[in-house]
Amino acid sequence: MRLVKNVFSFVAVAAAILAIAPLANAQNLTSAGLLKPTADSWPTYHGDYTGRRHSSLTQITKENVQNLGLAWAFQTNQGAAIKSSPLVVDGVMYFTVPDNVWAVDAHTGHQIWHYEYPPNKGLHIGQRGIGMYKGWLYFMTPDAHMVSLNAKDGTVRWNIVVADVNLGYWTSMAPLIVGNHVLAGVSGDFDNLRGYLKAIDPETGKTQWTWYATEPVGTPNKASGGNTWMTGTYDPELNLIYWGTGNPTPVLKGTPRPGDNLYTCSIVALNPDTGKLAWAFQVSPHDTHDWDAAEVPVLVDADFNGKPRKMLMQASRNGYFFVLDRTNGKSLLTTPFGPVNWSLGIDKQGRPIPNPEKEPAPDGRLIAPDEGGLTNFRSPSFDPKTGLFIVSARPSWSIYFAKPADGTYGWAGADYGVWGKGVIKAIDYKTGKTRWSHEIGQGSSTGVLTTATGVTFTGDAEGNLLALDTANGKTLWHSGTGSQIATSPITYELDGRQYVVTGSGGVLFAWALPDAHR
Amino acid sequence: MKKIPVIAITTLAMIFAASRGGLTPTYAASAQPAAAPAGQASGTDAGAAVFKQHCAVCHGANRQGTPPTFPSLIGVGQRLTPAQEETMIHQGKGIMPAFPQIKGQELASLLHFLNDSDAAPAAKPVAAVQPPSASAIHAAPGTVRAGSALFQQNCAFCHGRDAAGGESGPDLTRSKLVATDRQGTKIAEVVRNGRTDGDKKMPAFKFSDDQIAGLVAFIHDETRKANAKPGGRRGVDVADLQTGNAAAGKQYFEGPGGCTKCHSAAGDLAHVASRYEGLQLEMRMLYPRGAKSTVAVTLPSGEKFDGTLAYRDEFTIGLIDKTGQYRSWPTATVKYSVDSPADAHVAQFPKYTDADIHNLMAYIQTLK
Repeated sequence: MRLVKNVFSFVAVAAAILAIAPLANAQNLTSAGLLKPTADSWPTYHGDYTGRRHSSLTQITKENVQNLGLAWAFQTNQGAAIKSSPLVVDGVMYFTVPDNVWAVDAHTGHQIWHYEYPPNKGLHIGQRGIGMYKGWLYFMTPDAHMVSLNAKDGTVRWNIVVADVNLGYWTSMAPLIVGNHVLAGVSGDFDNLRGYLKAIDPETGKTQWTWYATEPVGTPNKASGGNTWMTGTYDPELNLIYWGTGNPTPVLKGTPRPGDNLYTCSIVALNPDTGKLAWAFQVSPHDTHDWDAAEVPVLVDADFNGKPRKMLMQASRNGYFFVLDRTNGKSLLTTPFGPVNWSLGIDKQGRPIPNPEKEPAPDGRLIAPDEGGLTNFRSPSFDPKTGLFIVSARPSWSIYFAKPADGTYGWAGADYGVWGKGVIKAIDYKTGKTRWSHEIGQGSSTGVLTTATGVTFTGDAEGNLLALDTANGKTLWHSGTGSQIATSPITYELDGRQYVVTGSGGVLFAWALPDAHR
Repeated sequence: MKKIPVIAITTLAMIFAASRGGLTPTYAASAQPAAAPAGQASGTDAGAAVFKQHCAVCHGANRQGTPPTFPSLIGVGQRLTPAQEETMIHQGKGIMPAFPQIKGQELASLLHFLNDSDAAPAAKPVAAVQPPSASAIHAAPGTVRAGSALFQQNCAFCHGRDAAGGESGPDLTRSKLVATDRQGTKIAEVVRNGRTDGDKKMPAFKFSDDQIAGLVAFIHDETRKANAKPGGRRGVDVADLQTGNAAAGKQYFEGPGGCTKCHSAAGDLAHVASRYEGLQLEMRMLYPRGAKSTVAVTLPSGEKFDGTLAYRDEFTIGLIDKTGQYRSWPTATVKYSVDSPADAHVAQFPKYTDADIHNLMAYIQTLK
């Protein structure tokens, strides 16, 4: 036993030396850098493991934000809109659109390298960004491969298959690196697919474990689905990762899959080393409206009802805001944050009770919110000073249909959005009450970033980038960007200058204060 | 004990290979060296230059070749994988010489150029490529297949794999635009320009004429297939929406619905059921998408303007006046009021029961 251990440590040490040796002075993001991100970095999709998208940077303030101006812009010259959150490590920024990764100088926006994945089948609907560990990048492709690239020059180290594109899977998420694990989720809604999360060895690309959200496809009376579309969060103290799972399939038809359909539309806590389930909380039992629970599970340590708590908060696509105790998955608060008409109330466990009358029907059912949900992939932000959970919401109404001719495969119904509008909502986590709302027009926009100086960055439906006062939602500054903003904002500080970065269409914009105002 | 160093060494070798990028190298396309000049595009332009320099003398300026001696390279990406292309470039074949000197960025851009149909020369009008619509039924199977592949990659998320509706996108097999598209031009226009009218959010796509011809052929093919199964097709049929009671709907229209505050069955809604039917009628009944709002603006000088609301965000108010002129002002400097009659529809959503909607639909359908 001891012998084996020694051999392993010898191999590990040798491997570490060899892995580091050719990368001296290179982008050497370590586990420590991921646990405690430095001010000059944005090393994961959410910026840190908590998913709060809250920055401690203080150069840009409520008072000087009106002077914010363009530091640089980068043109991808592609039709695809940028939907990724860039990473920033050692002065280099990495971001994506489907099939493409760019490395640009985070000071100036000029290109260092561009990687293009070969033409492939698989949905090219969006790409949320990459994961990074040591000197390597991890990039998910429309045909559900994971490609590991050398961060220095974009050359390919390995390319592995995460899911079978021919079954209908695709991938779009940014992998999360926890310890020695690259965590990869899968997408797909148009086929009856089994959702899962994989841990992959960062060096070899070998699968370490797979956690399945649902039973094998074809299990009688059981749902398939529960895909893991988005990037989760991590609590190093509890050593648990938190992930939102997707909706069940068939999507709009519930009859072939009676019951709650675990673990679809759920927040799950898993051990990152084994993939073993610690607990699960289902936000939409027996969903029939495509409301996945893939929205960011935000981790907050603060008081609740006068007691310090380790909490998890999610503004979910089904229209409810959830506060859980993340040590055990027990509900602390469940409350709608906009118009919701599909439930009969909340059960003892804090879960909404679906109203069977509001399942899709041959002659249609009027449902709030619509299929896009009261929120979606757009990242929310938690501001610790005000205790506000700020989310880009979209109150909406729609009609849902399902009939025998729609079958029991994939979508299995039809739904049509009737009306919706965009609102940035600041929710008091202790009560679930909305403290302020800021209307942003007839559509949804981007995610939210808050900073320690009380500034909230987000966007409106017309493509204006907005800086709001976190305390009251009033506009402090704006700039038109010419297209819809589909990235959630990030921030970092390099050489004494704080940058805020947002995408708009195929352009990445970096904003900063002019010298005179810093 | 003896075995262990061997295992360790083997493992080390593997790790070393991995750390040097030696493990299963794959397609690196346009990865550029760090020293590459900033902003140098790796797209098809560079590839076109490489092609012109090394290949065009035999394969023609437009890749058309002179068959059978010099084969055409148009669509070569469908016949060969990038790896096969690379082998042929480096090793030659038959009378074709080898070009081992084309490597790195130069090779990547050439492969990109060869495989990117956007780079197809001589832009051809859609109609000339493939007369679609009615004749799309007879579109070459290859065109439909190519269109299907492109549709699955780029359109299926919103419009469904079979074009009959998916997440948020309409059922194209029941689309009026598709049904009245005779030359592929209507579909092509929407694909190229996207749709941003009202709260529609279809992005524009930079596809070549050949690619759009494929999409057109695929969409028409799916529409034909869907129409071939009346009664049994998925999606919403007119017959599905006949569960209401017209008398109860009339009562709702004149009573609790409050519809008569703005509408009249003999006035603005006369013959509405002749203009729209089925799902389209019901959706317009619930919310008249695209309905015009009006705005009245007063400048600090007291000067007044009014017209149709053309643009509004937090910072700018824009209108089109009765001469057709667009004007806008910063919202901070003017007073304005917007009249949006359609807002009454939004206020009604929380008040409806599903039966109210079905009854109202039954009544509205009598207004032929």
